[in-house]
Amino acid sequence: MKKTILVVDDFASIRDFVCETLQRKGYETLGAANGNEAYKVLTEKADNVNLVLTDYNMPDCTGFELLKKIKDNPTVSKVPVIFLTTESNPDKMRSAKEAGLSAWIKKPYRSETFFAQIENAIGNG
Amino acid sequence: MDSNQKRFVEDALDLLNELDEGLLQLEANPQASAPLEQVFRTMHTIKGGANMFGFENIGELAHHLETLYDLVRQGKMQVSDGLISITLHAFDKVRDLLKEKDAAKINNADALGAHLKTAIDFLKAVESQSTADISKTPSSAIQRDELATFFLRISPAISITADGNHPLVFIVQDIAALGTSRTLLTKKESGEVVYWEVFLTTTAPQSELESYFIFVENECTVTYSRLTPCDLFEQPEFAGYLDSLGSHPLEMEKIEAFVALRMEAFNQNREEDADESESIATRKRGVGDSYIKVSKRKVDDLLNWISELIIIQAQLTTTASTIQNTSLADVTEQLEMITGRLRDTSLEIGLVPVETLVTKFKRLVRDLSKQLNKKVNFLSEGADTEMDKDVIELMADPMVHIIRNAIDHGLETPAERKAAGKSEHGTVKLKAFNSSSYVNIIISDDGKGIPKETVLKKAIEKGLISADAQLSDNEIYDLIFHPGLSTASQVSDVSGRGVGMDVVKQKIDELRGSVSVKSQPGKGTAIHIKLPLSRSIIEGLLVNVAETRYIVPLNVVERIDRIPYEEVHRDDKVNKTVVVNEEPLMVLSLRQRFHNEENLPKTTDIISVLVNGIRKGIAVDKIEGKMQTVMKPLGDAYKQQDFISGSTILGNGHLALVLDPARLFSLTHS
Repeated sequence: MKKTILVVDDFASIRDFVCETLQRKGYETLGAANGNEAYKVLTEKADNVNLVLTDYNMPDCTGFELLKKIKDNPTVSKVPVIFLTTESNPDKMRSAKEAGLSAWIKKPYRSETFFAQIENAIGNG
Repeated sequence: MDSNQKRFVEDALDLLNELDEGLLQLEANPQASAPLEQVFRTMHTIKGGANMFGFENIGELAHHLETLYDLVRQGKMQVSDGLISITLHAFDKVRDLLKEKDAAKINNADALGAHLKTAIDFLKAVESQSTADISKTPSSAIQRDELATFFLRISPAISITADGNHPLVFIVQDIAALGTSRTLLTKKESGEVVYWEVFLTTTAPQSELESYFIFVENECTVTYSRLTPCDLFEQPEFAGYLDSLGSHPLEMEKIEAFVALRMEAFNQNREEDADESESIATRKRGVGDSYIKVSKRKVDDLLNWISELIIIQAQLTTTASTIQNTSLADVTEQLEMITGRLRDTSLEIGLVPVETLVTKFKRLVRDLSKQLNKKVNFLSEGADTEMDKDVIELMADPMVHIIRNAIDHGLETPAERKAAGKSEHGTVKLKAFNSSSYVNIIISDDGKGIPKETVLKKAIEKGLISADAQLSDNEIYDLIFHPGLSTASQVSDVSGRGVGMDVVKQKIDELRGSVSVKSQPGKGTAIHIKLPLSRSIIEGLLVNVAETRYIVPLNVVERIDRIPYEEVHRDDKVNKTVVVNEEPLMVLSLRQRFHNEENLPKTTDIISVLVNGIRKGIAVDKIEGKMQTVMKPLGDAYKQQDFISGSTILGNGHLALVLDPARLFSLTHS
């Protein structure tokens, strides 16, 4: 069965680009423009989403807040979360890791690293 | 532009409008957090998108501005009019750029250079105000460190193979791509990885390297050691040893020996550099300096008045020496000293660090290396060396050309390098330093060097030199600056863009600088550019022609000969060929060209100058001597006379005209 990835980014062109990239690799994708929207989609389709791939800095609900919400909700806490972001502050990376983040992919990324991280996170999740 | 880029541009234009709105709200309510958050986030989004779709110049600008707003968010800085206006102006420019239809035009690194610099300067000013907190600010949390060579041993705690798909495999590759590196893999017979050992020369600090492993820290253990505060790969034995290893295990004692060797050379170099840059040591700003912004016009005015002062001071010195009064002589001497210091200090005001260029070159190197499939490490040293702002701008293109050449013609492909026993990553290095009143820039590569025979052969073919000419290595390398020596056989997509090395040389000559080449086959090429610190201070030969004084810039002067007057002035032609130093030389007589022929001298001095690679002579009555002086522009009435680049007033109150040799000769041609 095809795996489904929820792509969260407030910037539509990046979101579409990432979705297209993932679709070419054989993934199903869902999109959300911010953390709140993503959380809503996720709780509605908890069984169908295999991974959340989200930006860090977003309006209303940041990637970090989304991560916390997901990990605090037992029905969806098993879904792995990956940050795809230009942010590279080690302290932020550290606290995200402690909050249960699976991987941190720095933008711009190398596609091998990108897919390896995604496959690994889905495999473990 | 591809469709994704087009989408991005459309979205980004919308975002820019939101950003404007947010900035204006923030300006009205500097304490409000909602507009601040919006501004920060919008900038962050633009940054991410720009980097992702290949508009790194926009990404970089947004990054620096975002850092500023992050400081505001953390309460380390106040919103000010200055901050808002640099942001608005910067993004206005971004908007203009995005309206270009062509991705290459948008990605023009020059376009945003000025705004980028403003943002960086602003950040520096803020940081210097709050040096106490600096270690805590996020902008410095990951700070570009000085170049260093690290040794990492990454031991997976889980069973993986090096050709597997575990993220760790790719993280090791990403780490290796941070600079010049060599990765050694130790594995069991089953193919299972025991550990990777990575030697990495990079400007990334250890904290950045560590951050790569945060999300795999349960799957592996990593040990770090910082071997040298410089490039260990420059120690040829080290690279040689790594190559010779094959499947033998690494012996750390040997590595330590290479480290010791490298450190010895490094410390020695440092001492030499310290000698070279002694004169700037006093000039460098203290760490805790604060900055003020001053308009260029005020600085120009200041320099203008100071040059007047220098002239008057020189006149005073001359007068005082004729009057011979002890107390007057004392005062004059002190005034001379203070004027000198005042001149140095004020010249320094107009200088900016070459750092701005370095950023531009990093991009260039990155793009070129991709385009040409070469692995290139760009290193810079002395980026804080300061130069005249105008000179920096004028030098940007020539230096881009040199770097292009270095990557295109100098560096070999990774396969060739490997075959030659070099590290796959080539190095292009820019080193800047001061020496007396000059700025030195050395651009070097560790490529294959300039093919001496090819250059020589071509020069003979083109008739630039005779077939039996005995040239020294340096003379051969200098031929690359000759306009006649087209490197047509090597023209490629990248370097063959119309600007040749002759144009580079011409630009440098115009700035009254000099350029020289050193090259070693198989080892690389270094191009050394020497430029005067200031465009207004000139070193030249003071010469006399029929009671009129001229100054010939010293940088173009090759040699001086004295010959009987009649040899040049035999007939009434202005240009003629005279045998000087057993070589025919085309000589232009200033006397015949611009003056009458009364009170003829018995001898004439021929100054051989190199103009556009061709040696020509200027005949003058008499050379008075060498001097350093302040050049002043001529009034509007002389604007058409572009063979005179300016004037200067001598100590005795006389005027001297500064000649522009290249224009002087093109004048007589037409």
